[in-house]
Amino acid sequence: MTPRCEDVRERRVRGRATAEDAAHVAACAACGAERETLAALAAAFAGHETSAPSPALEPRVLHAAAPILAARRRHAARWSVAAAVAAALLPLPLIVLVDVWALQLIYGGLSRLLPPALSFYLVMNYAAVLALLGALTYGAIPVLAERQARGRHEVLHG
Amino acid sequence: MATDEELIAAVAAGDDVALTTLYRRWERPLHAFLARYTGGRDVDDLVQETWLRVVRSASRFDVRRRASTWLFQIALNLARDHHRRAPAEPVDPERVAELAAPDPLGPVRAGLDVARLLAALPEPQRAVVVLRHFHDLGEDEIAAVLDVPRGTVKSRLHHAMAKLVALARGDATEGAS
Repeated sequence: MTPRCEDVRERRVRGRATAEDAAHVAACAACGAERETLAALAAAFAGHETSAPSPALEPRVLHAAAPILAARRRHAARWSVAAAVAAALLPLPLIVLVDVWALQLIYGGLSRLLPPALSFYLVMNYAAVLALLGALTYGAIPVLAERQARGRHEVLHG
Repeated sequence: MATDEELIAAVAAGDDVALTTLYRRWERPLHAFLARYTGGRDVDDLVQETWLRVVRSASRFDVRRRASTWLFQIALNLARDHHRRAPAEPVDPERVAELAAPDPLGPVRAGLDVARLLAALPEPQRAVVVLRHFHDLGEDEIAAVLDVPRGTVKSRLHHAMAKLVALARGDATEGAS
């Protein structure tokens, strides 16, 4: 298929004319008449430079962006902790149910061998240890979420 | 090395190192784009506004899009808004003829004034020409930046090239139309 004059013209100015385009120009009077003009345009475009950004621009932009980035960091940290806590809270009812069931089972077993007061004391001690472990685990979530965020940062920037 | 898309995601989380990296990668292309598109007016301010908008909008960046498309789109929209607020002086049709006038300094400096040629183009055509010819964006990508169909990009490009050829020949009448 013969290329269209408009497409050929555009490729010539971009310096991407194909052999097919050259053949078209040789055969097409309208395209041939534009040879010098397009060459001048192509040369002007290829050689056109804009001034380099001022060295002061980067610190200016980064300084202006700093408060927005700080707000984003706070927002991201809050969101990350909230997501981690929400994910951790999801299985909590099941964990509590299993623990209560286990405590009842242990109490039943112990009370067959020991006096009920001593059995109750031992089970309550065990329950307190479980509660402490649970509190420590949930208390560590914000720390772990922050460490994970720091890890992502290090992976991104090496 | 992190991709632009990964850096934008990190900027959304407030990562200043990611912003610096992204800025250094894109400072020159965005600056050059805005300089050509606006004719050099308030370029530093527009570059700054572009980056502030990048930081503000980073969380809404669609990772399926190309970062280049998104960045040029932000810069272009800001430049358009800026020009609406402070419209450029219209190009005098009489002076368009000077574009191809012989240079008194002879063949060394004789050539076309690209900045003035671009300034003589209508804004939609100028955006297409700058993105296509100076930033080597494909027609599909330009269509995404401008949010227009690909056919519109092609048509604007063809009209722009016809006008540029006419201007380069010193056809003031064509340039004014």
